[in-house]
Amino acid sequence: MRSYLLKRVPSALLVLVLASFVIFVILRLIPGDPATTLAGPDAGPAAVEAIRARLGLDRPLSAQYVTWLGDLVRGDLGPSYAIGGEVSDLIGQGLGRTVELTIGALVLTVALGLALGLAGATGRGRGVRAAARAVATAALAVPPFVTGIVLVLVFAVALRLLPAGGYQSVLDAPDIGLQYLLLPALCLALPSAAVLGRYLKDGLERALAEDYVRTATAVGVTRRRIIWRHALPNALPSSVTVLGMQIGQLLSGAVVVEAVFAWPGLGMLAEQGVVRRDYPVVQALLLLLVGVFVAVQLLTDIVYAWLDPRIRWE
Amino acid sequence: MTTTTLPLRARNRYVGGLLTVRGITGLALVSGLALAALLAPLLTSADPLAQSGDALLGPSSRHPFGTDDLGRDLFSRVLHGIRADLAIGLTAVPLAAAAGCALALLSVSSRAADAAVQRAFDLVLAFPGLILALTVTAIWGPGRLPVVAVIALAETPAFGRLLRGGILVQREREYALAAHVGGAGRLRVLFRHVLPNAIDPIVVQIATALSIAVFIEGAMSFIGVGIRPPEPSLGSILSQSTGYMGTHPSFAVAPLVAVTALVIGFTLVGEALNRGIRQ
Repeated sequence: MRSYLLKRVPSALLVLVLASFVIFVILRLIPGDPATTLAGPDAGPAAVEAIRARLGLDRPLSAQYVTWLGDLVRGDLGPSYAIGGEVSDLIGQGLGRTVELTIGALVLTVALGLALGLAGATGRGRGVRAAARAVATAALAVPPFVTGIVLVLVFAVALRLLPAGGYQSVLDAPDIGLQYLLLPALCLALPSAAVLGRYLKDGLERALAEDYVRTATAVGVTRRRIIWRHALPNALPSSVTVLGMQIGQLLSGAVVVEAVFAWPGLGMLAEQGVVRRDYPVVQALLLLLVGVFVAVQLLTDIVYAWLDPRIRWE
Repeated sequence: MTTTTLPLRARNRYVGGLLTVRGITGLALVSGLALAALLAPLLTSADPLAQSGDALLGPSSRHPFGTDDLGRDLFSRVLHGIRADLAIGLTAVPLAAAAGCALALLSVSSRAADAAVQRAFDLVLAFPGLILALTVTAIWGPGRLPVVAVIALAETPAFGRLLRGGILVQREREYALAAHVGGAGRLRVLFRHVLPNAIDPIVVQIATALSIAVFIEGAMSFIGVGIRPPEPSLGSILSQSTGYMGTHPSFAVAPLVAVTALVIGFTLVGEALNRGIRQ
């Protein structure tokens, strides 16, 4: 296992460094530079030059990259050009809120995925199974921003049960925070729950066709006990890896869902950064997303290697 | 069986797939909306960009869908929004199909090119679309061009993989071998014999890709990095409407129905074609 880690971790780090270089260079190739934008339309060339010098944009690209990378390692992402404040503070604040939403969605994904999988594989009567399949298909086909608006129109506008949008930290005020969290988390969880449910349903159906299930039925074990004690534990492992892959999906899906529910996380920061051409913010965000993605991939690979010794020896 | 019946049968399989409940529903949804979008100038005289003092009105005979926060006619904006979405999809998807097919042909003709192309596809497929969308709009700024670029980039690998897989399977079949033995050159075997038999999944993928295009345009415009107001697109109108859901819920209904119908319509057409070619 150690030799596998020694091989896999450095290659993940290499991907990160390469990605940081690509992101840095690409954002510098943009026509129209932030100094001109910051100085405003009435500024003379002298004022623009002064801003350029203050931000270090007049130095060669390679020097700028090395400085940025050095600062990055120390956790200093520099000041934001347009939004105001330190980039590390903006990212930290946004990330905390987005992670809160993602964790909420993850809990709902597991609960709904289990329900969909169980109903799809073991539901009594064709109606229940067809309904589970229809819900899963719809949850995957309809874009999350559409689901989000429908949820708001039903639960916030028509029934007045939950707030239409906004944010209140669950950690500060659990009862109010949960009310704000429920709809966006549900909206984010639905597509992932559909994917998880589909895998679980296939796993359960395969497990229920095994000989040990027939034996258990023959000796008089109840259907309920067969499903929960025998079939489900055998269907779970493959579904757990699917869930791992859905975490990255949830984080990037969160950005769109945040826009529906005015949730002030990374999504809002991304929009402001892109629209106002705030390089340091966009740069840090992209690197963060790539970092999360690489980390999730690495973790999935390690879990696979742990579960299947053959991979380690390749 | 003579050779002349082959293209006829192929066409029938597409038609057969489309002439099912699924296919007809999908076609009706898509063609209805496309027709309404195409005839937008005849259906309404209202300028989708003209502002007025009548803000946030409910549906009425003058404004069938009501008006938005700046008093613009929503009926006209939604029709022009469908137009924008279709125009984007019909630009980006053929681009992706052409690029994907060209790369697939490159892949099957050289081992080195194949390795390079497949790694590139892996890279695009592995990263969440969001990273792609943010990078592209960071370079170009929000607008129609980056949306088209993101959709085309994101969809190219699917086309490339499907055609490459199809060619690799068909190339080993006996008819291809027979053509080769019969003296046909490599390119002739590829283009006259193998390619026509590997093209079916591409046709299905075009319908699926169009639904994904509406999906991506909506998501990008919705988070503000795609098409931005005042220009109407389904995503940008929806994004505008979220600010008024509490007070004016009817604002969101028409763009919501339009975007859902388009996505589901294209998905149904894709599924119907897929079932047709498998028969």
